[in-house]
Amino acid sequence: MLDELRQTCRRLLQDGAVQAVIGYGRASPDDPAVPVFISKPEDVDQLVWDDRCFANLTKYLSRKEVLSLGKLAICVKGCDERALLVLEKESQIDRSQITVIGLACDGVGQPRLAKCESCDVHMPRRADIVVGKATVPDADAGAKRYAEIEEFLKRTPQDRMAYWKKELSRCVKCYACRQVCPMCYCRQCIVDKNRPVSISTSATLKGNLAWQITRAFHLAGRCVGCDECTRACPAGIDLRLLNLSLAKAAEENFGYRPGMDPDAEPIIGAYSQQDHEEFIR
Amino acid sequence: MSELLAKKDIVRLVDQWLAAGRRVAGPQCVNAGDPHRQTDLINYTWLTKVEELQLDGFVRPTNTIKEVVFPRHEKLYGYEFKGKRIELVPAELPTAEQIVVGARPCDAAALHILDAVFNWDFKDEFYNRRRELTTIVTLACSKHDDFCFCTSVGAGPCDKRGSDVLLIPLDGDRYEVRCLTEKGQKLMAGATTTSSETAKEPEGPPTRFTLDALGEFLAAGYDRPEWPAVTRRCLGCGACAYTCPTCHCFDIVDEGGASGGARVRNWDACQFTMFTAHASGHNPRSDQSQRQRQRIHHKFQIYPDKFGELLCTGCGNCSRNCPVDMGVLPVLKTIAAKS
Ligand code: SF4
Ligand code: SF4
Ligand code: SF4
Ligand code: SF4
Repeated sequence: MLDELRQTCRRLLQDGAVQAVIGYGRASPDDPAVPVFISKPEDVDQLVWDDRCFANLTKYLSRKEVLSLGKLAICVKGCDERALLVLEKESQIDRSQITVIGLACDGVGQPRLAKCESCDVHMPRRADIVVGKATVPDADAGAKRYAEIEEFLKRTPQDRMAYWKKELSRCVKCYACRQVCPMCYCRQCIVDKNRPVSISTSATLKGNLAWQITRAFHLAGRCVGCDECTRACPAGIDLRLLNLSLAKAAEENFGYRPGMDPDAEPIIGAYSQQDHEEFIR
Repeated sequence: MSELLAKKDIVRLVDQWLAAGRRVAGPQCVNAGDPHRQTDLINYTWLTKVEELQLDGFVRPTNTIKEVVFPRHEKLYGYEFKGKRIELVPAELPTAEQIVVGARPCDAAALHILDAVFNWDFKDEFYNRRRELTTIVTLACSKHDDFCFCTSVGAGPCDKRGSDVLLIPLDGDRYEVRCLTEKGQKLMAGATTTSSETAKEPEGPPTRFTLDALGEFLAAGYDRPEWPAVTRRCLGCGACAYTCPTCHCFDIVDEGGASGGARVRNWDACQFTMFTAHASGHNPRSDQSQRQRQRIHHKFQIYPDKFGELLCTGCGNCSRNCPVDMGVLPVLKTIAAKS
């Protein structure tokens, strides 16, 4: 599969179909895979693909340091690919200008990450080129999708608040959760607005609650559940749990899962006379 | 001759300090028992009971001890609106003595390095007061990982800088105790036993690059063409700076309402776009590669030129905690090889 991937990328670069490929590479065998940007056909041997390719590379489609490389091809796993669809729906990318290389994925991490345990997109579905074949079936995985949040919601509200206070008090406001998130593409995040300050910049419990509540609101109905924020957080905060509750609300109330169905209207971008909230009609 | 202390006795000491009402910080697994955790998270935290303390079994904590002298949020003074007048209310300086136990040498050395900048053109009374109130008991590292590179930057598992007491593992149950300052002697007085046994100083990680090669690259000019490619994957977050024991940038903001508020300082990080944004809208470091270049130059050229010491102890935290496994080490290795 790796040969096929390298061949594909070599061809794309040789033919001039793209100027750079965003993929995974690593310096030495024990290292985790890191994002690499390959511009020369002779460099494609740097590319790797295995279960330590964690990063959701679609984030780089909003980084000017990468866009400046020219026309791009990008490697995506099934879960990463969902972000592409949301970015397209939100007019952030011109899909026709990007070559999407889908990587068949059996899951990442040893043991597998939580998102992989309930993954139902092992095979990318809308890629221009798909490399490999996933061996893990999608069937039934969806049933477990919200297991963690359902378990969590059985706890009392007081208990849950105590949990979040304990967790969020560790947040240092490094904004790694925002910077890795493909959906956080704003040129100026609301927490960076300083004339006047909108959201406290202090990493106190109060300031951290304000930050994470803001983040959750802005990602409701948009978060694709790639769990990159959770992986990035140096304070070990399980942001996945918050995201799951957003995803659950979107699916239960609107039958919508961000980045799954190209024909579905994004719930945040759509308006309906049938909306059951009066204030919106 | 040496002074020895059994591991169970250091635990007993910590218990006594806590019982006497002293503030003690040390490594602790902060997510033990959390059903949602994926891996153990070891952080320096204020201990409430001695059982929380975890001295070894890991390389180093995810956060750093700079927080005990330079908290991420600090009130500098308050203000109150009194009619047309504004009244300033001084913030109270800390008074509680504090002890850090089980600090890693790369953390302790960082405080020594920071003393210079916090006492340069301006003597920072908050930092200095906390520093005076703090006694640091460091544990020499018997473990290191692929991210550690202390030995490449003149530091190491037995670095004495910044420590008041250095504990060197003798065997599984005992430490050799080296009191390096008066504060350290006071803290350990009467607790140790004299012996003829001495501990072997642990070896650190292998050298990852040479300072000469690095210095050559940095001295060869500011606008080297290598920067964009070497730093392209950086996402511009603050994970590296906020888990770095030597990073010390802060931002000053006013927080308050209609009746008054406070002027506070919060940590800031050089990789944020906003870090150098001017009020005019111009940003002299508008590209991530310029911000990364600044980070490396500041740590490995500007700071040493000014204060005589590198602004890095090789703790590896910036790479360990980077979402794309960058931080300074891969950059240093690449540019040192290119000089
Ligand atoms: S919020 Fe987290 S899980 Fe959701 S899209 Fe962003 S990085 Fe991925
Ligand atoms: S990554 Fe974690 S510590 Fe950093 S801002 Fe987000 S929640 Fe806070
Ligand atoms: S080097 Fe890594 S941790 Fe530092 S700003 Fe860049 S992405 Fe964040
Ligand atoms: S720059 Fe990186 S390795 Fe150096 S002290 Fe800071 S976190 Fe540690």
